Amino acid sequence: MASQLLIVRRKMGNAVFVVFCWVGAAIALGFLALILWSLIVKGLGGIDLKVFTMDTPAPGSPGGLRNAIMGSLEMCAIAMLLAVTFGVLAGTWLAEYAGDSLYGKVVRFVNDVLLSAPSILIGLFVYTLMVKPFHGFSGLAGAVALALLAAPVVTRTTEDVMKLQPPALREAGVALGSPLASTIRRILWRAASTGILTGGLLAFARISGETAPLLFTALNNQFFSWNLTQPTANLPTVIFNYALSAYDDWQRLAWAGAALIAFAVLFVNIIARTLARESRRS
Amino acid sequence: MNAQPQAETYESFVEQIPAGTAKIDLRKLNFFYGKTQALFGVTTGFAEKQITALIGPSGCGKSTLLRTLNRIYALYPGQRAEGEILFDGRNILNGGEDMAALRARIGMVFQKPTPFPMSIYDNVAYGVRLYERLGKADMDGRVEQSLRRAALWDEVKDKLHTSGLGLSGGQQQRLCVARGVAVRPEVLLLDEPASALDPISTAKLEETLLELKTDHTIVIVTHNLGQAARISDYTGFMYLGRMIEFTSTEQLFTNPKAKRTQDYVTGRFG
Repeated sequence: MASQLLIVRRKMGNAVFVVFCWVGAAIALGFLALILWSLIVKGLGGIDLKVFTMDTPAPGSPGGLRNAIMGSLEMCAIAMLLAVTFGVLAGTWLAEYAGDSLYGKVVRFVNDVLLSAPSILIGLFVYTLMVKPFHGFSGLAGAVALALLAAPVVTRTTEDVMKLQPPALREAGVALGSPLASTIRRILWRAASTGILTGGLLAFARISGETAPLLFTALNNQFFSWNLTQPTANLPTVIFNYALSAYDDWQRLAWAGAALIAFAVLFVNIIARTLARESRRS
Repeated sequence: MNAQPQAETYESFVEQIPAGTAKIDLRKLNFFYGKTQALFGVTTGFAEKQITALIGPSGCGKSTLLRTLNRIYALYPGQRAEGEILFDGRNILNGGEDMAALRARIGMVFQKPTPFPMSIYDNVAYGVRLYERLGKADMDGRVEQSLRRAALWDEVKDKLHTSGLGLSGGQQQRLCVARGVAVRPEVLLLDEPASALDPISTAKLEETLLELKTDHTIVIVTHNLGQAARISDYTGFMYLGRMIEFTSTEQLFTNPKAKRTQDYVTGRFG
């Protein structure tokens, strides 16, 4: 009879565990749903044509987020250009050439540290490097700070997907008389392209909502400007400032901006996941 | 592989191929994966425009031997070969050889099909573009000729510009053969090329190899004894990193000299 007791206890333990899992998942999803819901309710209503055609206003006057949206897009574009260039090259080096060398291990370790470095530290670093010496905040400094955040993500994903390519593919290219470098450029990169693109998109999603590194670098700008050597408006900082303000219209714009970022990131994530699934299938 | 039974001696019966017919000559070839020795003093020759099959149980070193012939092992630090590999009389283990140019003369087909992620046409043209500047018409001709030689042309002629990844396994493998012969190598190395193929694809591949023999020296590693018997002119039987017996295929399968060869070809071990 003792064994019967054990069976009952095990079944109960199992049931309790499953309930905990359910509750945990429900809590996590519940908060996500709550955030999205409040963004939809308070943010989507604030998104109209003016948001895209007018610049950030003074309190009480009509305005939009045009300068912040454009500034964010410009800085993210430059940041991704830098991050993909250096990240793909670094990841390729780690996967194809570094092997088990000490230098390779150090680079891999430092990259992993950078992956989880607090973004405000990156902002301070770029501040001392690019803002203080030139006595001015600039969009370029902001782009560099974002690039420093994105590059480790790109490096890591590139290394991972390059290592997933079958060794036979590399050998097949080399066996045809193609030097390793051109085998990598013309065969392996192509084979790994969906994975690398997915990594790039995830890195983009990661940086598009970053505020901390921009506070020390791009700062903000009330006006629209293409000049990236000047302080540059950007969505996260505008949200930060407007959400803390006491003005209703500013707060409405902050919600609209937050909704824009959240849904853009959601959209990019969905694309990245779809691409990843496609590449697994082929 | 480096475990050597104490009492066992390796009697070997390596027959010299007729003088002057060797395209590749191996002299006392040793091979090491790091500290582990995988080939022990292999001395043999591969005759020009003939098919030589290498057989033996798994881990006997036959693939390793094949991978020394185009020095593909050099991609991996820690792997090294000692001795001599004379290719048209020049030792390719000496420094100073241009590896890429050498590999263009010694093609290789792998166990699993390895189509490049590009169109069928570009798969075949890839290697050619590395070493020759051909006009469009000439390149079209070369691609067609190569695909015909690999017995694939009729199946793909209407979809040359679709991805090579969309072909069946057997077709992919013949695409790899076409890609290999397109650069007109003098030697073609095949590492168990039919092991992932169905019988019909295997038969087609074997026909292809017999046709290619008119222009190419072929060395094929195979687990399929029937295949070795059907298509090869010479066969080498390897065991524990040694060439145990090397002679004409007919001789090796009908009247093997070494006890181990006999046991292996009659299916008693391996």
